[in-house]
Amino acid sequence: MPLLLAGIATLVFIVSRLTPADPLVSIVGERNLTNPEVVAAAKARWGLDKSVVSQYFTYMKNLLHGDMGTSFSTRRPVLSDLWDRLPATLELTFAAMAIGLVFGVGLGVLAARHRNGWIDHIARFFALLGSSLPAFWAGLLALYVFYAQLGILPGPGRLDPRASEPGKITGFFTIDSLLHGDMSTFWSALKHLILPACVLGWGVVGIVSRLVRASLLDEFSMEYVRVGRAMGLRERTVVNTHALRNALLPTITIVAFAFAFLITGAVLTEIVFSWPGVGSYAVDASRKLDFPAVIGVTILGGVAFLITNLITDILYASADPRIRLA
Amino acid sequence: MSASGKRPTTVTRTRRVVSLVVAGAAVLSACSSSSGSSGSGSSTALVIARGMDINSLDPSRAYCDTCQIYLTAVYETLVGLGDDNHTLVPRLATKWDGNADQTEFTFTLDPKAKFADGTQVTSADVKFSWERLAGLQGAASYLAGTIDSIDATDPGTVKVKLKQSNSAFLAMANASYMGIVNSKVASAQGATADPKTDKAEPWFLANSAGSGPFTLEKYASGSELRLKRNDTYWGTKAAFPEVIMKETPKAVTQRQQLEQGAVDIAMQLSSDVAKGLSNADVTVKEVPSFNYVYLALSPGAKGGEKLTPKAREAIRLALDYKGLIDVTVGGAGKSQPSPIPNGFLGTEGLAAPAQDVAKAKQLLSDEGVSDLSLDATYPSLNVYGVDFTTAMTKVQTDLKAVGINLQLNPVEISVWADKIGKDGIPVTALYFAPDHTDSSQYVQYFGLLKDSQWQTWTKADPVPAEADLLSKAFAAKDDAARADLYKQLATAMMNDQIIIPLVNPNLFLASRTNIKGVTYSACCNLDLGKLSRA
Repeated sequence: MPLLLAGIATLVFIVSRLTPADPLVSIVGERNLTNPEVVAAAKARWGLDKSVVSQYFTYMKNLLHGDMGTSFSTRRPVLSDLWDRLPATLELTFAAMAIGLVFGVGLGVLAARHRNGWIDHIARFFALLGSSLPAFWAGLLALYVFYAQLGILPGPGRLDPRASEPGKITGFFTIDSLLHGDMSTFWSALKHLILPACVLGWGVVGIVSRLVRASLLDEFSMEYVRVGRAMGLRERTVVNTHALRNALLPTITIVAFAFAFLITGAVLTEIVFSWPGVGSYAVDASRKLDFPAVIGVTILGGVAFLITNLITDILYASADPRIRLA
Repeated sequence: MSASGKRPTTVTRTRRVVSLVVAGAAVLSACSSSSGSSGSGSSTALVIARGMDINSLDPSRAYCDTCQIYLTAVYETLVGLGDDNHTLVPRLATKWDGNADQTEFTFTLDPKAKFADGTQVTSADVKFSWERLAGLQGAASYLAGTIDSIDATDPGTVKVKLKQSNSAFLAMANASYMGIVNSKVASAQGATADPKTDKAEPWFLANSAGSGPFTLEKYASGSELRLKRNDTYWGTKAAFPEVIMKETPKAVTQRQQLEQGAVDIAMQLSSDVAKGLSNADVTVKEVPSFNYVYLALSPGAKGGEKLTPKAREAIRLALDYKGLIDVTVGGAGKSQPSPIPNGFLGTEGLAAPAQDVAKAKQLLSDEGVSDLSLDATYPSLNVYGVDFTTAMTKVQTDLKAVGINLQLNPVEISVWADKIGKDGIPVTALYFAPDHTDSSQYVQYFGLLKDSQWQTWTKADPVPAEADLLSKAFAAKDDAARADLYKQLATAMMNDQIIIPLVNPNLFLASRTNIKGVTYSACCNLDLGKLSRA
């Protein structure tokens, strides 16, 4: 794992340095680009006056000590920035995954049980929309309908503009406000979470429901299902208790990867909803050519994928006794 | 199980689900009806929706529009700016004077002036703040770079000696970046004037050490900036106990939140968004600004060799300035004759630019230029409500009418910076907002002085006459004489045909009707200390 992360950091470092762009503009502003004193001071401060090779070894050495460097744009340690922003992304991701799983599995089951019926067609159409609609478009549409027109859900941000953030315990506003007994902030946080989580979760619904439907249909052709039905078991028992459990196995892998992807990939949703998470941080860092922040986010993405891989293996083993025995 | 003990039928279950959904929607709707004011934050706080561009909160390193608002609220300058955006008024200093050749300035500090921690503001703090600003070589260091020495022998008097005459110094002292820091507090946090030893920036991102009406409460990058009223403020205390600036980059969202009462002020509305506002609880003021977007022509850039003075003049004459204002800001702006914006010293009586296609064609013909094709790489930005792509597309259309073909190439500003620094760019666009109220900043930036920003980028030959005029303007104490010199400089820069202002957009200050004191300040954007709720 450390070697893999070092490889990721090296690759991103090289790519970022090959980009024909000048990061100094985000440090000193375009008005000072020809001011030799200001430029020299900025280069010295951020180590940009050293050779690329020297910058690389300094970065890797610091990385080994857990120092991801300081962001050019926020002027804070990248690790602190990620630590502050990760809970926002995790809260959104968990909510989106919950929506994606509940509705995805539910729709998949409904579609499989009513194969080729109108329920199946509607479910598949809904899933197709979720998978194919760009998140930014769905987000803008959701904001227009539920915020601007109907006014039943709040607009961008994690809280109402006048609300104060709850004292940080987990960094999840919904949980922290509950732990502080602050119901007003809890409602505000929950309402702000609904739209971005639904938009993000819709994509997951699309993936999960189609996978569950396909897997269930495969299971329905298995002998144990026919035996169950022949024994007079209720259809719900056959599906939910027996077939669904087996059908969910391939879903675990997809869900785990979807989760890891959302941690760093919820960029558009975070931008549309002004969600101060890792995704919006990554976009800002990329636009400003904030090298330390870009590499930091990439490493975080790598860690997320590695951890979810590990969790997937564990879940697989617990879900499928054959793997455990092997 | 149902009450009857029977399993619920499908219809019953469906009804239950529908009931639950309806109930959920009702609860959400009920909760959201108070969305504008829910949350545990104080309802008496002033909330401003802004796309924040903060690069630092350290007064010696910060350089951005939002930084100007923050620094003005937290770190006071020696001199303030009157409501006319021109007259200097007392702030930390009760009086000031400059010698005849404008090389020495003396400020008398207000004995009542105290920092938020109760300690006296002294000349030592001024010396520390300005020397640190110059020493750290941050983006605004040029403001203090002109200082040769500061005599802080008398705690109540600051004597500043400049390296050369500079009649703009008082205006520069009014710039928000020249705010005074509590030297004892800052030094204790590792603040020094040496960039190699200074360690205070992280502290300044979470704390403040000023004498202004507000102190920093909290800053969360990409989320919000919270200021708390300085209850021990030595002057007139601020009306609001707390000011919250929320990261709200989109103008449409700013407008919606303002209309719903979720925020009190939105001051980055584009003209189309602002003009659609018709809410009795919201007031919109359209005021002239000193910001502008300009076209820059670089004869020394690779591919710009044919941009001779006549060709550049032809480009200036080919542009439809009224059309540019219409397409970029819906008519809510002005054209601007010279790189010194309307309203600054030296701009009175300058003729507004006008389109003359026939003359433009004639000039190009005289110069033997036909089918001229030019690279127009520009930063893909949207500032002050002006979308650069819209503006450049209009420029492209206008120039095509006189036989000049622009190759538009919008890029990220970091890519643009790399390109203009290496090969230069024949035709590009950029923007400018003032740091202070003196016209000299425009000459130093746009004039063809040796090593000025645009002389370097355009690789045009320096014009010694402009340097001479600026020296005279710096040495002149009398405003009338300075106005005359700056008018000559403005005319000279117009004749350079290097910088062509495209649009000087108006600013839309939108606020809830019960918010008083919302005005645009040339030095500081918005003075939070002057705001109140009726």
